[in-house]
Amino acid sequence: MTATSTWSGPDAREVVVTGIGQALPGVATPGDLLGPLPGEGGFDPATGLIGRELRHKDRASRLALRAAGFALHDAGLADTDGMFTGASGATAVVVSTNLGNADSVCEAVDTIATAGVTGLSPLGLPQTSSNVIAGWVAIRYRLRGPNLTVSNGVTSGLDAVGWARNLIVAGRAEAAVVVGVEPANYVVTKILGDQSTDAAVAVVLEPADAAASRGARPRATITGYARTRNLAEALASTGATEEGPVGLWLTDGSEAAGAGRLLAATRRVDLESQLGPLSGALGVLQCAAAAAHLDSGATGNVLATAGGPRHDATAALLLTPPPALRPSTQERGQQP
Amino acid sequence: MTWDITGMAAVANIGATPGEIFAALCAGQESRTPLKAFDPAKYRAAYAYEIDDRPEDGDLPLRATRWLTTVVRQAAHDAGLGEDLAQVPVLVGTTMREQRSLELWWRDGAQVALEDLHFGTALKAAFGACTTYTFANACSASLYALGMATDMIDLGLADTVIVAGTDAATEGGFGTLDRVQNDIPDALRPFDATHKGMLMGEGAAAVVVQRTGTGTGRVHARVRGVSMNCDAHHATAPDPDGITRAVRDAYARAGVRAGDIDLVMLHGSGTPLNDETESGVLRQVFEGAGAGPRMTAIKAMTGHTMGGSGLLSLVMAVIAMKSGTVPPVLGLANPIPEAAGLGLVQGRPAAGDLSLAQVDAFGFGGINAVAIVEAVR
Repeated sequence: MTATSTWSGPDAREVVVTGIGQALPGVATPGDLLGPLPGEGGFDPATGLIGRELRHKDRASRLALRAAGFALHDAGLADTDGMFTGASGATAVVVSTNLGNADSVCEAVDTIATAGVTGLSPLGLPQTSSNVIAGWVAIRYRLRGPNLTVSNGVTSGLDAVGWARNLIVAGRAEAAVVVGVEPANYVVTKILGDQSTDAAVAVVLEPADAAASRGARPRATITGYARTRNLAEALASTGATEEGPVGLWLTDGSEAAGAGRLLAATRRVDLESQLGPLSGALGVLQCAAAAAHLDSGATGNVLATAGGPRHDATAALLLTPPPALRPSTQERGQQP
Repeated sequence: MTWDITGMAAVANIGATPGEIFAALCAGQESRTPLKAFDPAKYRAAYAYEIDDRPEDGDLPLRATRWLTTVVRQAAHDAGLGEDLAQVPVLVGTTMREQRSLELWWRDGAQVALEDLHFGTALKAAFGACTTYTFANACSASLYALGMATDMIDLGLADTVIVAGTDAATEGGFGTLDRVQNDIPDALRPFDATHKGMLMGEGAAAVVVQRTGTGTGRVHARVRGVSMNCDAHHATAPDPDGITRAVRDAYARAGVRAGDIDLVMLHGSGTPLNDETESGVLRQVFEGAGAGPRMTAIKAMTGHTMGGSGLLSLVMAVIAMKSGTVPPVLGLANPIPEAAGLGLVQGRPAAGDLSLAQVDAFGFGGINAVAIVEAVR
């Protein structure tokens, strides 16, 4: 039995990142994630989370709708009215969040205690279910493919990217919008024991051949993913050890035991050290940062990891340069 | 491609094993109980379908997690896998995750960690499992998980996958449902003219899914195909178009036609809108398909067990096919007009030769999953 793999079989379809969108205060572009943050600019929740289409929605859903809209626009899959122009029935939504509806859950308990159920708002029904965000994203952009919410702890974001790729490679979707989101509010701050941050990021994944045929610009290839017991096993399972040098390692600050020689001299960036705890948003933000890095023509692959000995698993995602940015000798995954 | 189901387990209000639950469904005794989970004075709804394992004087955190580890252990044992699941992916579908524990932490300071909100933490502790996923996919979650398990096997990522679903009732969920249902149901009565709405149940189910030929023991049934999609229409109301697409896609994946289906395990949540929508879709799907399949809806006795409900229906379908028996829909006396002509089983169990079952599961967010399961003779 094998629990993980790199999908590197000869028939596996290559999946690339074709769009990135973020609703992240203090970070204007994905490339900003890799340097010292300006701390100014970026998304402003005070002005960015209002509007008719966001009314009566929980904060996480509003953030996610914005990030998804930016990503679809960036991928060239939205018209001037912000409507989706891709294949509605074959586009998946995959949302990663751990605390997206925690405020709704806890506030409902408080309301019932003080006012009984008649004090509750009927408009709060959708957010009693943890998948509320993915539902709103699908409704807003008419995305009728598989609709998945991954609430899987610190690895959620990387897991969501891995599952979005699975849905495409398995033929269930021709594209996927992957959103990582966590809201800032007093409930999340209490749960984290640390100041919560508004963070939403979305990436659009497509098969490389489909992206090429519609003239989209791939930023990175999703090459391997695994969720396993430790870092060494995760690196082996993603194929990181065979795919060439890693030029950037996006960590979550966990211990590096098991990284071995492969990553000994690699530049490391811990997004949470600058932005604060990102929980379910982290892995998708790592994917966006990796794509920005590879899109800039930097050399080497990018590895993103999350989890570790203090958690139930370690997840790793390997991203490699997209077809157009690869030396022809490295060309792979292209079928005759 | 088909996938073997080699292990099964389930727990619900009416039984602690699939056999017990099936026997109770066939016996058809009223199973709702007065609301105990929460302070009844604060709710209009007076009944639920709880698992009665709370202490007399309060509630315990992590009940959904405990049911999950129980059914995973039992399903693994049933398939002869043992208790070391380090190399076996475990895919868990859930509506609420451990939101009930979050509520108890928030209100009463119960000892719950952030890491307990998803189920991987407990699955690691109990079985050493690491390739674990918590999919918060509302009430189609466990069939979504089943579909993704078949994909993992297809893609060569695994030969054996455990699929499970679990949910405990939450105060916020129960309360908001109470708030929005105008006419409060005193029982969950799917497809009956007296249906008023949904009442929550609690429970968990698990199955072991294997690449054909991987297991060494008995094969309970075969998965022929699982569809999954989204209406992209309404946050909480079902959409006939999305459900129709899910049913047709499931048939296409399974390589079957409507006329081949012998049994439908209905989603049957007991809300007028769901029952009318599901009935309407199935009338169209089975129009001209001969006598049509037998149909039943287990939520009449289990309540709405949410994330695990689809998989619980699937486990019951497997036993129905093995035993040639379809349990009746408890309380179904006068089917709604939209269900006219559908083979809803009423009154007492129906006997029949059943080879192919369809299992429906629909959830908030307009997400639908339909599984096709085949008997093994």
